[in-house]
Amino acid sequence: MSTRDLFTFRNGHFRIGVGITAAILIVTAIVGFIVLPFAQPWVQFADVWDAICSAAGVPQRAASVTAPEQAKRLSEVVLTSNTLARPSQEAIGRGATLAQRCAICHGPTGVSRADSPNLAGQYAAVIYKQLHDFRSGARTNAVMSPFAVNLTDQEIADLSNYYAYLPRLPAYHPTPQLPKPNIVIYGAPMRGIAPCGACHGSLDNKTGSPWLEGQSEAYMKAQLHAFASGERRNDISQQMRNIARAMTPQDIDAAAAYYASQPPDVVKAVD
Amino acid sequence: MLVNKKLILAHFWLAFAVFGIALTLGAWQMFIRSPIGTWLSNPELYYRSLTAHGTVMGYVFPTLVAMGFGYAISEAALQQRLVGVRWAWAGFWLIVAGSIMAVIPIALGRASVLYTFYPPLIGNVFYYLGVVLVVVGSWIWVALMSVNLRVWRKAHPGAPVPLAMFANVAGSYLWAWTAVGAALELLLQIIPVAAGLKNTIDAGLARVFFSWTLHAIVYFWLMPTYIAYYTIVPRAIGGRIYSDSMARISFILFLVVAMPIGMHHTFADPQVGAGFKFIHSAFTALVALPTLLTVFTICASVEIAARLRGGRGMFGWIRALPWDNPMMLALAFSFVMLGFGGAGGLINMSYQLDASIHNTQWITGHFHLIFGGAIVIMYFAIAFDLWPHLTGRELIDVRLIRTQLWLWFIGMIVTTFPWHWVGILGMPRRMAYFDFGDPAIAPQALSVTLSAIGGFILLASGIMFIVILARGMRAPQVDAGPYRFALAVHQPATVPVALNTHALWVALMIGLTLTNYGYPILNLALSSGTSVPAVYVGAQ
Amino acid sequence: MSAEETHQASAEVAARVERRWATIAVIIVVMMALLAAFAGIHRATMPQPRVETIDPSRIHLSGEFVESNLGSVLEANGTVTVRAIGQQYSFTPACIVVPADTPITLRATSADVVHGILIQATNVNTMLVPGYISEQLMRFTRTGDYLMPCQEFCSFGHEGMWGKVKVIDKAEFADRAKGGGRLSCVGQ
Repeated sequence: MSTRDLFTFRNGHFRIGVGITAAILIVTAIVGFIVLPFAQPWVQFADVWDAICSAAGVPQRAASVTAPEQAKRLSEVVLTSNTLARPSQEAIGRGATLAQRCAICHGPTGVSRADSPNLAGQYAAVIYKQLHDFRSGARTNAVMSPFAVNLTDQEIADLSNYYAYLPRLPAYHPTPQLPKPNIVIYGAPMRGIAPCGACHGSLDNKTGSPWLEGQSEAYMKAQLHAFASGERRNDISQQMRNIARAMTPQDIDAAAAYYASQPPDVVKAVD
Repeated sequence: MLVNKKLILAHFWLAFAVFGIALTLGAWQMFIRSPIGTWLSNPELYYRSLTAHGTVMGYVFPTLVAMGFGYAISEAALQQRLVGVRWAWAGFWLIVAGSIMAVIPIALGRASVLYTFYPPLIGNVFYYLGVVLVVVGSWIWVALMSVNLRVWRKAHPGAPVPLAMFANVAGSYLWAWTAVGAALELLLQIIPVAAGLKNTIDAGLARVFFSWTLHAIVYFWLMPTYIAYYTIVPRAIGGRIYSDSMARISFILFLVVAMPIGMHHTFADPQVGAGFKFIHSAFTALVALPTLLTVFTICASVEIAARLRGGRGMFGWIRALPWDNPMMLALAFSFVMLGFGGAGGLINMSYQLDASIHNTQWITGHFHLIFGGAIVIMYFAIAFDLWPHLTGRELIDVRLIRTQLWLWFIGMIVTTFPWHWVGILGMPRRMAYFDFGDPAIAPQALSVTLSAIGGFILLASGIMFIVILARGMRAPQVDAGPYRFALAVHQPATVPVALNTHALWVALMIGLTLTNYGYPILNLALSSGTSVPAVYVGAQ
Repeated sequence: MSAEETHQASAEVAARVERRWATIAVIIVVMMALLAAFAGIHRATMPQPRVETIDPSRIHLSGEFVESNLGSVLEANGTVTVRAIGQQYSFTPACIVVPADTPITLRATSADVVHGILIQATNVNTMLVPGYISEQLMRFTRTGDYLMPCQEFCSFGHEGMWGKVKVIDKAEFADRAKGGGRLSCVGQ
């Protein structure tokens, strides 16, 4: 018998092999696509065709659901890994001009002499998101909000790119470097706290999370408390409130003091 | 007739060298996340190690063993010099190059995405390119196995293909086709994103592609082990294969039904329809069939050996078996682990039972028991059996070999049984550390500690294994004679063409892939709005 | 009887035994498949019936996964729907509250990478794949606290991604649900 005779129904192995396979396939398909869908009383299908399409996995857009009104304005920024990727030199130049009005608080080199955040070398997506949130009112601050309301989308992007472009300089008020507290190194798994560095730059950067080294201790403490109390809520889907709420006051003190004491050059990830 | 001994030895040595490194990483991982280790100040190191361990143990090590063993089978079973030796070396060097290319980004922490890839997490592009090179290198082997069989057939028209070669080629075809899933995922989805050409990816589709590879790859790992069960063990213990055709049918069944079942890995996924989950579940049940047939045939073959040695009685023959023979020992251990691991597999196969253990430590326990236990212990046995024929030197210290096998068996049981247990308790996979001080998970601490001790027993056994082989390179010379495979009780003079060729079964394999995977893949690939932004890990 | 005939006879015996064993093996396999199908219907543990898609980078803007809609809600028919999201590296709500002895539908999705929801000591276990919505039916018989770790590697903070589930008395839940809104046990 040659190979040509293999693929004919005269060949018993072919008959049995193909026959059994096809039979199993047909039986399981009927059971999986018709019998089982209708055997589930807790699921309603319009008709057989709907059942078959659903069992086959035809994607459907989720039905629209009316959600309760938001009590306060929340962040409407969409962030992806592609946000502000590859800025142009022109954008950075325009940002430099705009940044002159920010220098009073954030310092001419992007390093603050007060308790405002240092912006030099901050991830572009972070500045982009916070400016948008200040503009929309998702985040409010007596000093910052008036500056932000009149910014255009283009100006926000330019400012973000400019500050991201600046070199990361040491903080204006350097303090002796503190040892890393446990809450920063390990987080607290059973309280749902990951190591800070998993998002904030020393291990990896979650888009939209700032690196924190050398920032003002008072500022970071205030923000953590604001997140924990829910007073600040522009973190998308509670990503930071979930963490801050689970932190004890001691954790907050330790984390803020540690980060304030660090030079910015230990930040590993860039965006 | 083994001619290209250097080629085969190169494959085995590289396989066992990378195995040794990955085993060390594995033992460290068991230790560092157990209560006896201290929490890592950088959890990324754990995921880095895990990526290396998985990539080496899943892709590089078994592929090299299958290739080296495949070349040996081709020469010894067909009694024919390997055709295409240059190509074989090219494949080997591709794997070397691919492994190095993949390991560098892993070592630098730029590709800590784990060996399962799971986008939208995206690592350094060279990691993925390295994996592709490893697969391409192995495809050369697939082609060579096919070519060598064809050359032999021309010289022996109509003659039954020796069982070992028939199974070996079936395994190579299975690998060629099962690797296509991950290859498509890498080439069409991940690499364009990792290279910066695109920045969105369909994570659901990627998981479907990967399931195409991830389950059948297990049967590719299994093939050398099953070939050893059928064609080496009976000869080594002085018996015969109970049935040649049953053996062929088992390998054919693996070829046909190993592929279209991978979606049982996506039971808990939202992007696959329930109907396809059911079909895959039913076909997964089928894959138990060749294993059940194999267990029967091998037990019967072993009984033949025992009766030839004077064994009597319903079970009394078991005592007459050559228990001091490493091959016998390895087979027994392998079967015990296959039994437990297979029982666990039956649990994973059904949607309902899988729900309680999906992605828990049970799953890691399960595949370590099956792959690291039942399969790898036979890789050891294969190496011990082939070594004198490859080196022309005797492996003298049989007692050391027995100890090594015992340790591997004990180590694997001590590692994986508590592992399964904590999985049932709901311990999730792939975490760098656990707070065992918390009362909610404190009861798991003892089991995890036991597992870690098992890991060190395995490491000790692995070191002994490499020492045995290395000492075997310098032992006194011996003429090991020609390498032979076991014969069947009723050695067939002719074999029906369907059981002597692969075409029908490869066609069925591809056909079933199209029916079981075609629609789910096209459905996701063609629907818009399912791609999501990539998330680059350790972005620099 | 010649040696050839003996050989032939023993080969036939071997083939017969083999066929019997193969039959037993097939019966085992078929039984297992039937049991799985029966258990699925009888215990109401079936895969989610539909595939639904969603854009993960915009779930906070509109649709059912906006912040004000996350949490547990008592439906008019007495069942409970829980909506949750997974993101690097927390679930929202971080603590889910549900009543005992009530049919509950969990609807969840991911905002970024692949995560998984696993409620320890239960059969609740589903992947969260960005771009798709996971749905799972659940029912708790015991009140108390359950751990809900993320069961799939989601990058370097995975080991810190543990949520909680609090199962409370049915009447107590109904009482708390009176005020409307979405319930959770965050901050308790």
